[in-house]
Order: sequence, then structure tokens, then C-alpha cells
Amino acid sequence: MRISARKLALEFIALMAVVATAMAAAPDVQLNMPSFDSLAAKASDSVSITLDSALLGIAAGFLDSSKPEDAAAKELIGGLKGIYVKSYTFDKDFTYPTAEVESVRRQLAPPLWQRLVGVRSHKERANVDIYMAVEQGKANGLVIIASEPREFTVVNIVGSIDLQKLHKLEGKFGIPKLQLEEKK
Amino acid sequence: MSNNLDDELRRALRPVDPGEEFAQRVVARIARDSTVSRRHAIARYQWLPAALAASVVLGFLTTHDWRMRHEQQGLEARKELLEALRVTGAKLDLAYRVLNDEARVSANGISGA
Amino acid sequence: MTEAEECAPDDSLSRAIAGESAGFAMLVRSHQRSVYSLALRMLSDRHKAQDLAQEVFLQLHRSLAVIESHAHLSFWLRKVTVNRAIDRLRREPKYETVRLEENLNLVSDARERDPLLQRRLRELVGRLPPAPRGVMLLRFQEDLDPLEIARILDMPPNTVKSHLKRSLAILREQVTAFMGPDGTPSEPGPSFTKRDQ
Repeated sequence: MRISARKLALEFIALMAVVATAMAAAPDVQLNMPSFDSLAAKASDSVSITLDSALLGIAAGFLDSSKPEDAAAKELIGGLKGIYVKSYTFDKDFTYPTAEVESVRRQLAPPLWQRLVGVRSHKERANVDIYMAVEQGKANGLVIIASEPREFTVVNIVGSIDLQKLHKLEGKFGIPKLQLEEKK
Repeated sequence: MSNNLDDELRRALRPVDPGEEFAQRVVARIARDSTVSRRHAIARYQWLPAALAASVVLGFLTTHDWRMRHEQQGLEARKELLEALRVTGAKLDLAYRVLNDEARVSANGISGA
Repeated sequence: MTEAEECAPDDSLSRAIAGESAGFAMLVRSHQRSVYSLALRMLSDRHKAQDLAQEVFLQLHRSLAVIESHAHLSFWLRKVTVNRAIDRLRREPKYETVRLEENLNLVSDARERDPLLQRRLRELVGRLPPAPRGVMLLRFQEDLDPLEIARILDMPPNTVKSHLKRSLAILREQVTAFMGPDGTPSEPGPSFTKRDQ
């Protein structure tokens, strides 16, 4: 049966709502992240963030609730046990060696992991896969793998996070917002 | 379009002058403020014996050093957290955008058929 | 190096550090355009921009001892100006908009080839959130590269590049809509009214 992209878009929104309500603290689902040496060697910039529960606790103590960005972060990380990010940027279009990426995907197999979203854009030449870990009916982990011509990113979230809040953070965390009010 | 936009932005954002008297106003305000703060400085420290001042400073520096290190670690962790959330949000945004683009394309395809 | 850095007499900084008022005034005159314009385009208000620019130079006067060179001075001024402006914007009401008549970005220049487009661009930059707005101004007003911007804003270089990429995409989309298919403005731009907070 052919599923239209529009239906997929609506399902994505619905899934985000489900994940937002269903995720709860549960056993860790931290990935064994490779070093991505083959990507790091070619990257012009790389980001590697490892925040386990101890560091998240320290970070939370330095969030200033009077600053909107910090207040939003505080709201988001309440149930988190860890957040791990590897991101690489390239000066020119780069075809990624697949071995290390595949080593991540091999860890995302059922029954623990389910692929929520797998989108491929011809226009942006971007692929994004979002996986969720489900144990005893509760979601307790998230992985995003995003590849664009000049950027490759893996995000592993352990614990509970409200994806709807994160996605709706237009205007914060570097997602520009433009408020234009038409003349009435 | 990209280079044109860059050039137009540079033209649009060429610096403008605050006016001829701006520098004079700044210097006048500095002169005014420094008169006030000199009076306060004299009043604040006149009574403090030198030996007491030295021991207070020493104690402060020791505690200060520990606090600085702890603060540095915390601020670094905060910075990393905000960056991690930014990246996560950006990739979710990408997925959402791709889905919307595909939906728009297929809707146009259906309506144009 | 900015125009100010190239033309500023070498002794103005040392004279200012030595406490000479005329030396400090020369420094202010050398850098006031850059500082004021950053403040103006961050805050979109002439009075607030004058106020902020003055405060920046007052702070400079108090901090002269840490300034090592003219290049360091430029870095310091940009850093303090943009970061203070960002702090102020984050404390302000979220949706405050500005009447076109009050919009000081109407300052035009005989060198502008397309004043309508450039006014529109200034308006659009002024609508970006604080951090991306700062990045765009440092890139296109001050002509800094992403690494320098990252140092000034204490931000990872990737974040700077991300801000640039997204902001340019949005501006491009808005300008295309504004200009219409034949490259001329298709309709008068919207006016922006203050919302009661």
C-alpha cells in the first residue's frame, strides 16, 4: 500500500505527541558510539558532546531561569539521563564511508529499537532517521541520524525528553524565528 | 542569488554615524562619573588597617580559586548542553521540513494531475 | 582590520591608557560608527542604541588597562556591544514590533542602489532572534569570518555557521517574496504595529 508523504507528515506530528507523553525514565539505552575517525579526518569542524547524568546535573545548576534559552533547557532536561552528540561539517559535499555509520545502525535493531521516521529529501539531499527505544511499553531512548551533503550528525538521548517542546523551540537554540504581523 | 544577497546585505548594513557630539558626550559623562567614584573610594577604604586587608585578600583568593574552577566546569557543561539541544532541535526541524516539502510536492502532483 | 584600525594614530590607545582625555576621545571617534551601528541594528531604537553605545565606551574607559592593541580593542568593543545588546533583547517583551515611521533603519545612503530592498533587508535582520541577529551583523556589517564571530560571541563555530545558513535562507525567501517574480517590489511592505504587552 502506497503511503502519501502528506500522511507521513501528519503521522510524524502525531508520533512526536505520542513520544512526548509516553517517554519515561527507564533502563539506559546508551549507544556504543564509534570514534568516526573516517569522518573526523575529512571534517572542517566537529562537535563531540558527552553529557552523562552527573554532568547534566552540573549543567542544570548553571542554567539561569531568567534567560529564555536556559529556562527552556531546564524544562527539557528534567527526565534526561544522558545526551550524546557527534556532528561533522565538511567544506565540500562528502560521501560518507558507511562502515562506522552502519555500526550505529546495527545497534538500532528491533525489538528494543523502532524506527519512527525515515525521510529522504531529493531537494535538500538529506536523509534523516529517528529511532525510539521501547521497553515494557515505555519509551526511554532516542537516536537521530541525519546526513546532509556537508554535515553528518548522530544524537543519542537517554531518558525522557519532550520532543514536541524541543521541536517547537523556534527562535531558541539557533532556529531563527521571523514574526511579521500583517497590517490589518 | 547568494552572492547578490551577500553584497546587498553588506550595503544595507553599512555602519552609520551616531552624530558629531557623541564622543564629547561620552567624555563629559566619564568626567562626571569619575568625580563621584573618587569620593566613594576614599570613604570606603579609609578605615581598613593594612594587615587586616592583607589577610582578607589571602583568604578570598584561596576560596576564589576553587570557586572559579567549579564555575568553569559548570559553565562549560551548560554550554555543551545548550549546543546539544540546539543540534537535536535542528535535526528534528530538518526531518519535519523534509516531510513538509515532500507533502507539498505530492499535493501539487495530485492537484496538477 | 577595520578602517578605524588602519587610520587610528598609534599613540591614541597609549594616550588613553595614560589617562589622557583627548586620547580617549580620539579612540571613541575612531570606533563610534561600528559600536553605534551594531547597537542600533541589534536594538532597532536610536535612543537605546545611543545609550548602549555610551555605556560600552564608559566600560571601555574603566577597562583600558586590559586592552593590548588596536586589534584587541576592536575585538573587545564588538564583544561587549553585541553581548550587552543580546542581554537587553532577551529581557525585553517577546513580540514587540516597531512602527515603520519609527524604524531607524530608514536611514538611507546615496550609495544604496536599491533603497527599498536594503531597507527591507535591515528590517528583516532586525526581526531575527538576538543571537542570529548578532551573528549576521558581525558577518555583514563588520565583515568578520565565522571563527572570529565565534570568539566574540563565545559560541561554537558550528553554531555560528548554522545561524548564518538559516538566517540567509530565511532572508532569501522573504526577499524573494517581497521582490515578486519580476524583481520589483510586488506590493508595499507590511507595517508593524506595537502590540500592547
